[in-house]
Amino acid sequence: MLVKEVVNELKALIPEDRMEERKEELHPLGNTGQICIYPVTEEEISAVLKYADDQGKKVLVEGGGTKRGFGGTAESADILLSMKRYTGVTEHEAGDMTLSVKAGTTFKEIQEFLSKYKQQVSLDPAWSDFATIGGIVAANESGPKRLGYGSSRDVVIGLRNVYPDGTIIRSGGKVVKNVAGYDMNKLFVGAMGTLGIISEVTVKLRPLPKYESLILLSFEEKHLDGLRKFSKELLDSSLEPVALELLNPSLSKKLIGESSYTLVIAFEDVENAVHYQEEAVKALLPSDIKMRVAAQKEAQKFWQLFYTISPNGAIGDTEKIAALKIGVINLTILDVIKESHYLQESFQLEVDAHGGVGHGLGQLILKGKSEDLTGAIYHIRDFVQKDGGYAVVKHLPLALRKKVNVWGDKPSYFFLLEGIKSKIDPNKTLNPKRFIGGL
Amino acid sequence: MAFKGIKTKDRHIQNLAGIVDGSRSILYHKEDLIAYDCDGFTIHKHLPKAVVFPKNTEEVAEIVKYCAKHHLPFLARGAGTGLSGGAVPLNSEVVISLVRMKNLISIDLENRRAVVEPGFVNLKLTNSISDKGYYYAPDPSSQYCCTIGGNVAENAGGAHCLKYGVTTNHILGLEVVLPDGEVIELGHNGIPDAPGYDLLGLLTGSEGTLGIVTKITVRILKNPEAKKTVLAYFDRVADGSQAVSDIISAGIVPAALEMMDKTAIEGVEAAAFPVGHPKDIAAVLLIEVDGIAAGIDEQIAQILEVCKNRHVREVREAANEEERARWWANRKTGFGAMGAISPDYLVQDGVIPRSRLPEVLDRIEEISAESGLRIANIFHAGDGNLHPLVLFDARIPGQTEKAIDAGSACLQACADAGGTITGEHGVGIEKREEMRFVFKEEEITAQTNIRQVFNPDNLLNAGKLFPTPGRCGEVKKEMKEALLTQ
Repeated sequence: MLVKEVVNELKALIPEDRMEERKEELHPLGNTGQICIYPVTEEEISAVLKYADDQGKKVLVEGGGTKRGFGGTAESADILLSMKRYTGVTEHEAGDMTLSVKAGTTFKEIQEFLSKYKQQVSLDPAWSDFATIGGIVAANESGPKRLGYGSSRDVVIGLRNVYPDGTIIRSGGKVVKNVAGYDMNKLFVGAMGTLGIISEVTVKLRPLPKYESLILLSFEEKHLDGLRKFSKELLDSSLEPVALELLNPSLSKKLIGESSYTLVIAFEDVENAVHYQEEAVKALLPSDIKMRVAAQKEAQKFWQLFYTISPNGAIGDTEKIAALKIGVINLTILDVIKESHYLQESFQLEVDAHGGVGHGLGQLILKGKSEDLTGAIYHIRDFVQKDGGYAVVKHLPLALRKKVNVWGDKPSYFFLLEGIKSKIDPNKTLNPKRFIGGL
Repeated sequence: MAFKGIKTKDRHIQNLAGIVDGSRSILYHKEDLIAYDCDGFTIHKHLPKAVVFPKNTEEVAEIVKYCAKHHLPFLARGAGTGLSGGAVPLNSEVVISLVRMKNLISIDLENRRAVVEPGFVNLKLTNSISDKGYYYAPDPSSQYCCTIGGNVAENAGGAHCLKYGVTTNHILGLEVVLPDGEVIELGHNGIPDAPGYDLLGLLTGSEGTLGIVTKITVRILKNPEAKKTVLAYFDRVADGSQAVSDIISAGIVPAALEMMDKTAIEGVEAAAFPVGHPKDIAAVLLIEVDGIAAGIDEQIAQILEVCKNRHVREVREAANEEERARWWANRKTGFGAMGAISPDYLVQDGVIPRSRLPEVLDRIEEISAESGLRIANIFHAGDGNLHPLVLFDARIPGQTEKAIDAGSACLQACADAGGTITGEHGVGIEKREEMRFVFKEEEITAQTNIRQVFNPDNLLNAGKLFPTPGRCGEVKKEMKEALLTQ
């Protein structure tokens, strides 16, 4: 069927002004569509999806487009379903500390809405002015503050999902504690949109911190052993940092103008408790280490800058750049961050690296030539797999994604993942090959 | 093969005895099986075919393979403290008891994790690491005897999950024996976000219907630097519940926020751990704040002020750890305490949006009046998890049925208020039909479709969690009939 014919048929389901035929040239990140559709109701999402499923058309789903370089081996699908215009808060009861919001709403919009009530969604994803809550949840995004507040899988309490056959399936609910039936939320969080389109997200909220500060500790190369010891002492204390993130010198230079390994310790609590913890860190600190404290606005400024360091598929950051999500056993992340130095030297790449010592998750951002990017990805994957960890490529140009295995090896229980996919999306309509093992 | 010491000709029993290596690891005589005919939900009972006690993953896998091959229904059981009937062998299952797999395999304080076998008792984990200043957060009231394997199956909660989350938020890895006997590892090395669908999250809380957990990696936490506990008495329930909302709205995240109503107070004061709550009080709140010591006094001051604004009769801080422990013992034994004022009780487990508490309580009072049965209320008020305890006397004809109906009506009230039918006890057998209060038919099918991927022959713990398609109401009737014939 020609694009024109599909457009004609879609006109019965969605007004023409919310449909765009593709004009642009090939996009270097791929994951585009011949026709882009902007639904504004759940019924429209359902109708378009059902149509595609019945007609054997493939559908890609997109929020803000920040993750366009994340997974997938096709330049385009038949339909790109953009959630951008499906926005707005559907339910918020301040006293219940829960929020239901349409999936296309940007994270920034949500936080601005909640700040009026001194509340927040306690996630800290990148590019909050682009990233939509649906996309964040679909990719199980989290940032350094995961240490204190958890990730999408901890925060989401309910979802509305549109299955490929158009059925609306709710999972979870609107209350913070719920064990009725299987915890189906978990299946959809991080499924990269391969099991249905998330149309509405319900999250539990937290109060905005009454006070916040950052402690920035600079360690020179020769002090790295001291860093490990210090991190262990800190983790063994009763201090309650919400983030404990190590930056490599290159990233540290960009963020705070200091070209050294920098440990970022974030505290969020009532003011007294924050200051008390700052003093406690000072007392634990080896004598030759420089310590800086950034409080309130200054701390927020640091984080705002931090959340823009990763490549953003929606704005130009397209070629010659890769981003990897690393998962290792907590303290091993120190070795991964140190290894960034080796990558820089051996592959002629610019490497920005950060990782949380309290949770073992980190990110490497690599800039350079294609062959160096792929070489570095293979190297770092081997490096982390030695200790049982993983490396997932979160951003890479399409041409390279076709060569590099984005998700790494399939797990031994892959047949279960396949089984789940084929129950929900037997025709492989949604986000084809976007996820592990070509799911 | 006739196995030594096995006094039955049943070849399955013989063969299973062979797998677990002997007559001391299997029960099959009726008198031995009676103890396994139900769990903490005692209304529905059924005898298992046998109970086997494997001592390692390999034996579990062999038993499962054997059962799968011979189409014998089977299920896993921990300490049997479940409150919804998840471990009741409805289909004469082979019960795989995991109580002999009770080792603490490893502790890694630096990386804040521990690996345990499923039969390891919840509280023992905290006890094993408390000298180093660490603890395991999920604390169901039965924590002194319930197993972590069972906690995973039920996604157990507890009084302190308001701040720290429920079991699922603390599980990093699982070793699972699938219903065909294959062993898989989820959350390799306890590293979060393993690529692929989150089976770790799906398995947790699946009530033993998707696989049998044989090893668990859990997150452990450092003890908070300080902890303060406050008790507040209110003359009106509405004031108490408004105080709960006010505390939360003030931006305080208490470690626990518990509430008991008048009838519940009567029960706990008549039982083993009375603390001297006034008899004429309408509601008591137990509020605990923990964290950095320097920040706690400020929060306590705020809590005291909130309570005063809501006409609290009396409010005070625990003077010392001993008093705090007494208050908690009084609360944590609350269910059992109902035995002191009623021959029988049925505990329910609804959840509601916090702000709807007063109206739902009013509805529960109506249900109580309609049924003629007293209903005591114990709640994890901070997260809206209500435990209405329907008091009844099974010796009086008709009362058990009335109690079941009243319990179900309470859940309907929770669902109507935008809540759910279970917050931590699970669906089990008890709330199968009530699943329809919160899920549409296709949403239930979406879940049973997932079960089919793992458990296609439905030999593992069949008949739990989901209503029978198109037989709404009939099962409830059957349950009642079963009761009458007991």
